[in-house]
Amino acid sequence: MATTACFIIVSRNDIPIYEAEVGSAIKKEEAAHQHQFILHAALDIVQDLAWTTSAMFLKAMDRFNDLVVSVYVTAGHTRLMLLHDSRNEDGIKSFFQEVHELYIKILLNPLYLPGSRITSSHFDTKVRALARKYL
Amino acid sequence: MMDPTNSVLGKLLLEEISPVVMVLSTPLAEQACAKSGLNFVEMLSPFSVFSKIDVPVRTASDQPYRLQMFKLRLVYASDIHQQNYEATVERLKQVVSDASEKISDLQSDPPQLEDALQMSASDYPPPWIQTFNKELLRIMSFSEHEAFDHSVACLLVVSSKDERPINKFVDLFNTDQLPSLLNEGAMDPKILKHYLLLHDAQDGALEKATNILTDMRSTFGSNDCKLLCINSSLDGLVEWQNNPWAPYANSPSDRDVGCFLNIDDLNEIKDFMQNLTSKLVIPQMEQKIRILNQQVSATRKGFRNQIKNLWWRKGKEDSPDTSNGPMYTFSSIESQIRVLGDYAFMLRDYELALSNYRLLSTDYKLDKAWKRYAGVQEMMGLSYFMLDQSRKESEYCMESAFNTYLKLGSSGQRNATRCGLWWTEMLKARGQFKEAAGIYFRISSEEPSLHAAVMLEQASYCYLFSNPPMLRKYGFHLVLAGNLYYISDQRQHAIRTYKNALFVYKGNGWNYISDHVHFNIGRWYAFLGIFDVAVKHMHGVLACKHQSLITQDLFLNEFLHATQNLGTTFEVNELQLPVIDMSSLRVIYEDHRTYSSSADIRANESIWQSLEEDLVPSVSTFKSNWLESQPKFSLLNKYNNSSLCVVGEPIKISLEFKNPLQIPISLSGISLIFELSPRSEATEFEDAEVEGDAELSVPPISGDVNVDSQCTLSEVGLVLGGAEIKRVQLDITPKIEGVLKIIGVQWRLSDSVTGYRYFGVDAKKKYKQGARMSRQSPSNYLNFVVIKGLPKLEGCILGIPKKTFAGDLRLVKLELKKQTNSSVKNVKMKISHPRFLIPGNIEDLSADFPRSLEKQTTSEVKDAPDCIMEKSRSHIFSFPEAAALTEGEASFTWPLWFHASLAGTISLYISIYYEMDNGCSELGYRTLRMHYDIEVLPSVEVSLLISPCPSRLQEFLVRMDIVNRTISESFCLHQLSSIGSQWEISSLPGFISICPLEVLLAGQKISCFFKLKDCQKISGYENKHLVASNDVLLSSDGKAEMLIDISQSPVVDFHHFERLNQEAPQGSSTAVDFILFSKAHGSNLHEELETTPKLLSNHVCNCSITTKSPIWWLMDGPRTIMHDFSTFCEVNLTMTIHNCSEAVVSVRIATFDFVSETKQSAETTQSSDSSGCQGGWSDISLVNDIKLSSDPLRNMLKKQSLESSTPPFVWCASSSTRIKLAKGSVMEVPLKICIFSPGTYNLSQYELHWNQESSEGFGAEVSITSSGMVGGHPFYLTVLQP
Repeated sequence: MATTACFIIVSRNDIPIYEAEVGSAIKKEEAAHQHQFILHAALDIVQDLAWTTSAMFLKAMDRFNDLVVSVYVTAGHTRLMLLHDSRNEDGIKSFFQEVHELYIKILLNPLYLPGSRITSSHFDTKVRALARKYL
Repeated sequence: MMDPTNSVLGKLLLEEISPVVMVLSTPLAEQACAKSGLNFVEMLSPFSVFSKIDVPVRTASDQPYRLQMFKLRLVYASDIHQQNYEATVERLKQVVSDASEKISDLQSDPPQLEDALQMSASDYPPPWIQTFNKELLRIMSFSEHEAFDHSVACLLVVSSKDERPINKFVDLFNTDQLPSLLNEGAMDPKILKHYLLLHDAQDGALEKATNILTDMRSTFGSNDCKLLCINSSLDGLVEWQNNPWAPYANSPSDRDVGCFLNIDDLNEIKDFMQNLTSKLVIPQMEQKIRILNQQVSATRKGFRNQIKNLWWRKGKEDSPDTSNGPMYTFSSIESQIRVLGDYAFMLRDYELALSNYRLLSTDYKLDKAWKRYAGVQEMMGLSYFMLDQSRKESEYCMESAFNTYLKLGSSGQRNATRCGLWWTEMLKARGQFKEAAGIYFRISSEEPSLHAAVMLEQASYCYLFSNPPMLRKYGFHLVLAGNLYYISDQRQHAIRTYKNALFVYKGNGWNYISDHVHFNIGRWYAFLGIFDVAVKHMHGVLACKHQSLITQDLFLNEFLHATQNLGTTFEVNELQLPVIDMSSLRVIYEDHRTYSSSADIRANESIWQSLEEDLVPSVSTFKSNWLESQPKFSLLNKYNNSSLCVVGEPIKISLEFKNPLQIPISLSGISLIFELSPRSEATEFEDAEVEGDAELSVPPISGDVNVDSQCTLSEVGLVLGGAEIKRVQLDITPKIEGVLKIIGVQWRLSDSVTGYRYFGVDAKKKYKQGARMSRQSPSNYLNFVVIKGLPKLEGCILGIPKKTFAGDLRLVKLELKKQTNSSVKNVKMKISHPRFLIPGNIEDLSADFPRSLEKQTTSEVKDAPDCIMEKSRSHIFSFPEAAALTEGEASFTWPLWFHASLAGTISLYISIYYEMDNGCSELGYRTLRMHYDIEVLPSVEVSLLISPCPSRLQEFLVRMDIVNRTISESFCLHQLSSIGSQWEISSLPGFISICPLEVLLAGQKISCFFKLKDCQKISGYENKHLVASNDVLLSSDGKAEMLIDISQSPVVDFHHFERLNQEAPQGSSTAVDFILFSKAHGSNLHEELETTPKLLSNHVCNCSITTKSPIWWLMDGPRTIMHDFSTFCEVNLTMTIHNCSEAVVSVRIATFDFVSETKQSAETTQSSDSSGCQGGWSDISLVNDIKLSSDPLRNMLKKQSLESSTPPFVWCASSSTRIKLAKGSVMEVPLKICIFSPGTYNLSQYELHWNQESSEGFGAEVSITSSGMVGGHPFYLTVLQP
């Protein structure tokens, strides 16, 4: 389990629709906005990088000090972003793939408006379970 | 590809890596210069830069080339040393803080996206950052491992005033004053010396100076001596158009810098510098390059030398290593190569420089002299760049230099910074902004916070200028920079950077980011004492429900702190604390509709309207007279979209306030913002209304003098706990007539901030009064026309229960109160459900309920019921004139009867209409609306089953089942009454007590039996007798319980409505209504009920008589006769047949004597069977039932036949009679028997065959035929013989 891991889903219009601190580290007050800052800034890199490759998983595409950002870009250009300090690349990839599946299930919900905030508690618990499993 | 020499880096390199001329001067020489406010170096400096020197240069190769731009660095010998780091840091700090005062405009609005994108790369970095960079680069000058700072020449300056100037020259160049680099041997002490005699023209004639010059020339050689005359302007009033020394002025007030230097001096200095450069410095460097090149070629170039070098270095490997590698003196070959390279670099022979650097880098690497190695790598990178050759190579060199410096730890850190700055400039020159930003970021991590902040800011600009612009990175790095600025006490810079970043984070869902940015800007503004801007930034982050409790608390406290410091109460439009749910806005006001309580307003307006339909005059009659009313209504017409309200009556506005935070917040002084213009100004007001929308963001004028005289406002204060929602009701009571506009709401947060919020801007379709959805636009909805005071009735119903048991019958009192002193008239009332509530008589008020309902001993028949029934039909009850409220009378009471006839929830709507006595112009009438919801619990359930009495035609058996449906309550049954004079109910004669139980406990069920007699069909009964026997007293206790008079007012009325509501079952003409009275058993009171019902009445209506056959008959005749049998004993019997079905029934009466009995019965059975089969419709079970019922009968007959073989009587007359009975009709059929001997006879030997044709409403074709047979009832006749 990574000590720091901040998982965030950013909709195609760059608005975060799901946020979760999934790291095992004790939460610090300033960490929340710092993580958002890093991930937000990493969007610029994703924007460049996403079109250069056909792969959905962009591993460690940005870093800030010892924190690394890995991104998974879905076909609808929703970005699953993970800020982490562990190097468990395979785990992160599997994590992304499973969360992508969960996200698709959310999308299939006719009551969910794409691009709106994901409020499903079921989704949240599932994501956290996946984080414990893979990260 | 751009020309590298024209790039920023190229220019920087020309400036910074240029030959150094060491200056040694005597104090007198300096004194002469100081007259003009300069020192010697400063005086010469403007002329040490040559943009077009045009000097031919030939270095190692034979091809000469020409230098164009050139610069000499003149440095005092005392300055040739590594600079004091702390001093430099101080200077850098000064640069930054100077800049902060100059550039950061704290009050200006933050830049927008467009502004940022329009900025070109040339504007950035701003000059102060360039200065900062240069200062940072200079920290590392004169380091021992590099040679380009080694002085090429030495300029010795002696004033002509000096005594023994020749000696002075010699003294100047003694080792004490020389820089440590020279003394330590890193620099070649054999440098070119140039001797300058400085002559101050004010000090006397030139002759003395020229004499000294000749002496000098003879001593030091003619070429190396020069005379420079300065201060030729005697009066010191030289005004320079473009003062070349201006940059060296220490303060702006020194306008007279160089004031003693005239144009001649200037030209002389210029010539001197030109001469020095082209005649001395450059040739010297050329020469040195050539010499060194030869040496290097001899010792190091070529295969043999390389092998030798390699072997030699290997041999040295075991020598002890210091961190910087071995010490290299100027005479060592490595130092010489370095000097060669640097000189070549400075003379722009980059090829030569590069080849030497390359050679050197391998040596240093082998020697593990890492600092020198890094320095050489750095220069290699720069050479590659200037040569505009392989990018990759240059970057690789810079990277390795940077990393090597970093590896050295603290000693190499500043070099790393310099190297990084070169590198970033190089990348920027090539347009690789993104990479440059990365380097800046790497530098920043090694530097103290202030330097790091500047680096990060530069990184952010790089992101901005990269293509496409990386705005998010820009913002992020600005924020990082701002943070560091803040740490290093540069708050203005911090604010500036954060402000620049604002647009990046505007309006997206990254809530933590925007909270952080806004909060910090606000906090820093507060530090700087600019509280208004601070508050402006901070109020946006207050509603941060995603933040933790501590952060929320911090935000709120900082905000309040800032607002308190502001001095005046701050007014914030759309303050986020608390959150106001605009959709919750409800407006409650009373025009002609008034309400008894605010809860009544929630009732649907359409219910009221339909209720009041025939109560209120229609709209057309509203304006009674067009002549009179037209002008008066002009104002109303103009504001016909506005609502009406009355002076002195409050308009209530309720809003939901929600605290988004987890910490409690206190609100005070919540009140409405309004505009009230008196009627006379109404026209002007309308004009103002047009422009009213524009000023909706302007804070409200508080403390208006007129407010108190115009309106009374309610002020509400409350504390909202964490995440609490409270609905607040705000009242406004206008005191004068006019037009009232409610525009918004204002409140004070923690007694320091005034927040206000205007309605109407974003509130659409949300205005609602009651449930009347408005067709009007929302802005109009909060506009009111205030009209003069009117009388207003207030009313309530006293004693009406909230919760009761079904069947509860009680007297409640309607109380009407009048507030003002004017009178009202024509008071009318309408009740939505007269089944539950009816008006009573005024006498009822004084009556003692329920005793008043009991039958009077003197039975006097009242005629009152009819009267009330009459009124109830239209459901409008007009109060008698006497009850009208005239002046002075404050209130009156009227009795109402309430009957909870159904279990469930009863919604009662009562509307009271009244008219003004004084004929108000706008409103002719008003209505008072009352609404009550009553929950009715099930109590006693009664069902009645009536079956015909087999022995009597007009008598029936009544079985009453009573279930107590309550959980804990028990009831006493009191009385059962049948309604109508036609029915007489009585207890069965056999029973002593009718009811087996006195008290019906919860959940208990009992059955009672009664006899019911249809009196109408029996002639010969008196009316009086009938009335008396309508009721049966059920309670059997010894007390003299009185019967309740069912023909009296409330009971009969309620029964009337019950009849209407309980639909009659189909197919029965006769229906009986019953009322069961019961009383609550006092001992076990229901806890939930505030008052126990005293009397419960259950109405069971339209109970029909249940039988299987459609006919009843009765044999009638004498029971006992005396006959002497002298003649035939003939007895006349009458059979009365009654058709109780809804259809025509044909009946065949078949009598049979004993002989033919079996056959006939068999036949009839068959026929009945066949007829049943024929129709196909008849119910099989019915036929079977008949069979069954006829079986015992037949057995009995058989038995009879066995007993006596001969019948003692015969039926006379026809054996079969067929009659048709219309629906509900009664027919008498005469029968006759002839008896032969005395005895007792059972005259049951007959059968009735009935055939019913009931058409089902769709005509004759679809007719259902049912038929059946019934055997005779036993009828015993005794014949006696005297």
